[in-house]
Amino acid sequence: MSNLKLEILTPNGEIYNGEALSVTLPGEEGEFGVLAEHSSLSTLLEAGVIDIEKVDKSVESILINWGVVQVDEEKVVVLVEGAVAIRGETESDVARALENAKELIDSIKDDNPAIASATARIELAAQNLI
Amino acid sequence: MANLKDIQRQIKSVTNTQKTTRAMKLVSTAKLRRAEELAKRSRLYAAKMNQVIAEIAGRIKCNKVGGIDNRCFTEIESPKTVDIVFVTADKGLCGGFNIQTIKAVKKLLAEYKEENVKVRLRGIGKKGIEFFKYNEVELFDSVANLSSKPDKERSDDFIETSIEDFKDGKIDALHIVYNGYKNMITQELHVNKILPVDTEQFECDDEPKSMLEIEAQDEEHMLDSLVNRYVQYAIYYALIDSVAAEHSARMQAMDAATNNAKDMVKSLNVEFNKARQAAITTELIEIISGVESMK
Repeated sequence: MSNLKLEILTPNGEIYNGEALSVTLPGEEGEFGVLAEHSSLSTLLEAGVIDIEKVDKSVESILINWGVVQVDEEKVVVLVEGAVAIRGETESDVARALENAKELIDSIKDDNPAIASATARIELAAQNLI
Repeated sequence: MANLKDIQRQIKSVTNTQKTTRAMKLVSTAKLRRAEELAKRSRLYAAKMNQVIAEIAGRIKCNKVGGIDNRCFTEIESPKTVDIVFVTADKGLCGGFNIQTIKAVKKLLAEYKEENVKVRLRGIGKKGIEFFKYNEVELFDSVANLSSKPDKERSDDFIETSIEDFKDGKIDALHIVYNGYKNMITQELHVNKILPVDTEQFECDDEPKSMLEIEAQDEEHMLDSLVNRYVQYAIYYALIDSVAAEHSARMQAMDAATNNAKDMVKSLNVEFNKARQAAITTELIEIISGVESMK
């Protein structure tokens, strides 16, 4: 199966641009996964975590606060307003990313249950990296 | 022949001005670099955002999603009230940067006046606000100190009124006029119609790209939220772009001023030397004729 092209853009630039095996997105009506050659779809995303399964099978998590996604057969374009990628070379980098992510969660100020689970998930993602 | 002292004073004053303009140029160059970086990073996002909106607008126009009657996407035949938001700098000394925007606004105002459309002018940036106040053109509201320091929250607050009023039917269109950054030496004037979203450029006989059927109800909700973000971002992007343009315009203006000052000092120096030479010649003649008369 071919890979899908994924672009994640924030007002401050690209946060991810490359190929991926699959991506899981926090849609407004529930989480959904996208594989290559998915049929066209545009929808809104709510605050949550985007999980990208990269070509080398590793998973990268990106926390977002709001977004809109455009899926077509060739590629997936995600526009997000605020995003923090949980990644880093060293332990301290990951810790810093986690710190930023928590800040973003705090700024959302919403009693949405999805937020609570997002906190748990980014912590898990950070754990896996360390 | 001008007085030696006078010329000297003038040279000193022009040299001082030159120092100031050079310093201002340097400051603008540094600020431009930062603003340009920010604008560049945002450009991609803004372009994609427009693309998403355009695609949805096209789909609605071509009736591929049935039952949608969102005000933001329908062309309004005869607008009664429109909002014009303009962005100018808070400071002057940047050549024709502000006046270009003001001229474009005036042109738009005149056009609407001819059609008997009521215009609510909303200003961002001290220079434009001052201009319209001085010319006794009524401003609906205005905000200062935003265009020099773009801030997403403040720009969102500012534009909120327009979005709400548009949705409530109080206004029929939203225009934004600003001077944007093109490259280091040119600025580009933008007069954009933000609302309703322009759907004219879409041809309906295109192959339907999207296979998905979306229920009108979902789409309505999605559009609402999307349009808000789209307008907010459009304004914010205009601010960022305008700051970059402002600095590039100021850099150029100050560069020209520095060069002019340099030329002026040069010609003043020539004048000074001539005056000095003339004074020496006169003195010599006096001495010589004095000596001659003693003989």
